[in-house]
Amino acid sequence: MAAHRAKLMRCEELLSKDKIPFKDLRELCFQGCPHESGIRAKCWKLLLNYLPLRPADWPDHLKKQRAAYMHFIDEIIIQPGTDRAGQGNSDVTFEDHPLNPNPESQWNTYFKDNDMLLQIDKDCRRLCPDLAFFQNATSYPCLELVTNETEIETLRKRVEYQVLKSETVQRNRSGITNMIARKRAKSMNAEYYTLSEGQEAHWEVVERILFIYGKLNPGQGYVQGMNEIIGPIYYTFASDPSKEGQENAEADTFYCFTNIMSDIRDNFIKSLDDSECGIGALMQRLMEILKKKDLALWVRLDQQEIKPQFFAFRWITLLLSQEFSLPDVQRIWDSLFSAEDRNEFLLLICCAMLILLRNDILNNDFSTNMKLVQVITKYRSPVHGDVIQLPYTEQLQQNPVIYFHLLSNRCELVYKFSYLRSKGFQIEH
Amino acid sequence: MAKKTYDLLFKLLLIGDSGVGKTCLLFRFSDDAFNTTFISTIGIDFKIKTVELGGKKIKLQIWDTAGQERFHTITTSYYRGAMGIMLVYDITNAKTFDNISKWLRNIDEHANEDVEKMILGNKCDMEDKRQVSKERGDTIAREHAIPFLETSAKSNINVEKGFMDLAQAILNKTPGKDSGGHSGGVDVHKQEATKSKCC
Repeated sequence: MAAHRAKLMRCEELLSKDKIPFKDLRELCFQGCPHESGIRAKCWKLLLNYLPLRPADWPDHLKKQRAAYMHFIDEIIIQPGTDRAGQGNSDVTFEDHPLNPNPESQWNTYFKDNDMLLQIDKDCRRLCPDLAFFQNATSYPCLELVTNETEIETLRKRVEYQVLKSETVQRNRSGITNMIARKRAKSMNAEYYTLSEGQEAHWEVVERILFIYGKLNPGQGYVQGMNEIIGPIYYTFASDPSKEGQENAEADTFYCFTNIMSDIRDNFIKSLDDSECGIGALMQRLMEILKKKDLALWVRLDQQEIKPQFFAFRWITLLLSQEFSLPDVQRIWDSLFSAEDRNEFLLLICCAMLILLRNDILNNDFSTNMKLVQVITKYRSPVHGDVIQLPYTEQLQQNPVIYFHLLSNRCELVYKFSYLRSKGFQIEH
Repeated sequence: MAKKTYDLLFKLLLIGDSGVGKTCLLFRFSDDAFNTTFISTIGIDFKIKTVELGGKKIKLQIWDTAGQERFHTITTSYYRGAMGIMLVYDITNAKTFDNISKWLRNIDEHANEDVEKMILGNKCDMEDKRQVSKERGDTIAREHAIPFLETSAKSNINVEKGFMDLAQAILNKTPGKDSGGHSGGVDVHKQEATKSKCC
């Protein structure tokens, strides 16, 4: 407790300096950011290069960035939505119409965007289902979009319209009736359920960020899994105790997410899978590290043909966000965001996770081992008692990677940079 | 190899568009439960279930794949080893049905020629939201000579039958399937599972 208080004070002290010493901040956050008084949110914004290092510059900078994000919303959602609503669904101009085969056609873009939107919608609805948070209404919805009077075709309406529109088509085939109620009682549509007018669930905010990101990065668009990267960031910012933090969680999340993506976007690009910067190379690198650190374990996985694609693909793509509970993910990300080389550090954690399973893996068959590496969180299931005993193996002592304590409710990454280095672990750059 | 708990090992693969319910179908089959709140599958997932078919213990190794186009390079590498492929669409979403032919082309390109296939139209409990008639499913299945079932992971309709039929089809052409069994051979025409239990 005393140690925690000391860390908290040290953090507050760092954050109150005229110019925050980035290196010190990184070393401190690597050991876990305190979550009190929104410190974690602040630290992440700094570590992700969103906030400038001089706190005096924050108000201006934030104001500008947040206004720019509002501008994106306006340009990408509000303006086109207003035009469309004004036009009505039947009005079709001669220049552009739904069957226009021209790839430049606005309608063509509209249909393509709808595909992306439906995919985002599907994934955001099932974001962190164990947590009530994302289903709850935000206290700060985007007012332009949720007020009753607006005629704007919002994302919500677009999804609804897409789904309900095609519903009418299928009934036509039966010849019994051409018309079915366009608007069903919302409760009937459990799969497309939304909160009532004027309210917005947190997952809808995440959906909007992803849609805007996808529109601004057309080469990449939306790829499944991005929702799992954005989830913990948005959660952290939206649970900031300050009103200012909560109110702007959406814009701030957008920028921090964009920054993380600039580091890891190659993992999401299919055509790079087999290139030297894609996820294939990272998985290969993970296995090389493992081979160096724990040859017996590497041989075992190799013999059983448990390929990194079966587990590490997800670990790496999602930065471990599906492997642990949200508080643990936050703790791991404190270190990850502080690391000098994030990709390398992530691989070290993955490697440590494997080594911690070594005794089981060396003794089990393929199927059992597959389950082990796929459901790593089993190791922190409360069934095992408060503190889960992890094998601190001889192998691990001789060959420390990162020692990963998994306690029932929080995980501790015990190695410091200096310690890693002293043990011959290179964290380069 | 001394303590072999099964006679045969079949590798099955689940494919289809994102959100059609592949993970839910597998969860229903392996754990006999339904969960509306599944996170999206990223990359590839894996489940094991041992069933009894024609007097043999068969271990089903089932690979569940991510639906989005992006993951195809990862997932198509599993087509080759698969003995059976379950192709799933969602009867309440016409687009997932339209994509069936795309998935079939994928199978032709990447899987073994003699792989057993099955088409499942999932979510058949949601009749009021149906967009794809059962006849359309029947037609495409007939065109490609692939068995077809409408299923519901939620209401537990045809899920077990789907997996067992697929396993049976693989068993039917497994060489040496008659040897090693008890009481003199296996009735290859027997279409249903006698019994199944989770490992």
